[in-house]
Amino acid sequence: MKTETGNKIRLGILVSISILVFIGAIYFIGQRQQLFSSTFQISGIFKDISGLQVGNNVRFSGINVGIVEGIEQITDSTVQVDMLIEEHTRKFMKKNAKAIIGTDGLMGNKIISIIPGTPGKPEIASNDFVETTVPINIDDILLKIKTTSDNSASISGNLAAIVQNIRNGKGTIGELFMDSTLALNVNEAMVNIKQGAGGFKENMNAASHNFLLKGFFKKKKEEATKKTGK
Amino acid sequence: MSNNLNNGESVELKKSTFLLTSPYLKKVRAFFEEVTSITRFVLRFFKEVFRPRYEFSEFIKQSYLVGYNSFPLIAITGFIMGLVLTIQSRPTLAEFGAESWLPAMVSVSIVREMGPVITALIFAGKVGSGIGAELASMKVTEQIDAMEVAGNNPFKYIVVTKILATTLMLPALVILADAISIYGSYIGVNIKGQISFHLFFLQVFQALSFSDLFPAIIKTFFFGFAVGLIGCYYGYKSDSGTEGVGKAANSAVVFASLSIFIIDMIAVQLTSLFM
Repeated sequence: MKTETGNKIRLGILVSISILVFIGAIYFIGQRQQLFSSTFQISGIFKDISGLQVGNNVRFSGINVGIVEGIEQITDSTVQVDMLIEEHTRKFMKKNAKAIIGTDGLMGNKIISIIPGTPGKPEIASNDFVETTVPINIDDILLKIKTTSDNSASISGNLAAIVQNIRNGKGTIGELFMDSTLALNVNEAMVNIKQGAGGFKENMNAASHNFLLKGFFKKKKEEATKKTGK
Repeated sequence: MSNNLNNGESVELKKSTFLLTSPYLKKVRAFFEEVTSITRFVLRFFKEVFRPRYEFSEFIKQSYLVGYNSFPLIAITGFIMGLVLTIQSRPTLAEFGAESWLPAMVSVSIVREMGPVITALIFAGKVGSGIGAELASMKVTEQIDAMEVAGNNPFKYIVVTKILATTLMLPALVILADAISIYGSYIGVNIKGQISFHLFFLQVFQALSFSDLFPAIIKTFFFGFAVGLIGCYYGYKSDSGTEGVGKAANSAVVFASLSIFIIDMIAVQLTSLFM
């Protein structure tokens, strides 16, 4: 009899714990879905919801404050999204708050981020419609990346052609880089210039000793001395 | 004329002999006989379960035997399941740099599928075979017949209480196994990484929804019913002496495990239809 009562107690404890765990799970899941907290509803009209689903999180300043409660196609190009928001965030959410659809991480679920709005504006009311911003679509980003890569490919193709021309000695730069006779000519020219400059120096020395130009050079020397004296 | 008639009669006779002796058709016939027998067994269960007198103390005793006594085995299995699933999933998620998703992914897998199915299979192995062997040995030793002679209703006392106990105890065990398994997952996450229990807990419940929890728990009632029903059916119908005891235990485990997978497949299809 004693054993039977003990068994009953043990069974009762096991069943009670499992019921408590189940109720706890319901409570915590329900809490996440705003079942046990005071909430208010706001809505937004989007052109494209990018795969947003009922139950996705709504974030305000990066904090989860609500969930997407309903999604309804209103016209051929507009979708109404109803959001359930925790009551205590109402005081921070202004009338001109904006809603943007984003992604939780790189591969995460879709979320709605609410931008608070201008301070001093009145608080948002229940069943208000918030402004929405077109979300950055991953397809658009990929399209831009494709255009950029196409341009890069075209530029690198052109550069390759130019380099090829240079290597072949075509064009001015090509001749400059690849033609060895040009370098020889430039060397010779430099030697000639050097020789010319030496001859010119000798001529000028001779001219400075000439009696016809002696006065001019003397005057120049005096002016230079005056300048250095100052 | 009479010769033709004789020929016709002999063709008919050959046909009926073929129908009776063909091994393939014998199997088909046996299958349908088995289906009819199980259906009658199920109908008898539902007839007896609502009719007084209710064997409450025997139901509690059976619940203790199938529920409480199975708990240690299910707890250990659940813990290892959570731990191993986490350790095995980590490298794949790490390739994508998504290790932070480990608690969410593992908890959804456990609650939706792994917890109910693995627990039910363990339960079928332990309890289903036990019920099958127990009832078969009672049948062999004519205890069931003796109860009938004494004016008791053995079906109500033995079968109904056992099926009810398995039906109601398996969900309780699955809930506990899920919880232990998720704790095992927490340990698994902390083997190579580091995460606080609070954050792990938040990430788990962030990922779970009612559509994960309720269908998973509802299907465990069917798993439990199948384990109890099949165990009792093969035990109660056993009639080939002591050899039948082992056969009943074996059949109970095999068919209960198979039925768990079939019920799971139907449950998944139904869930995906409505959610």
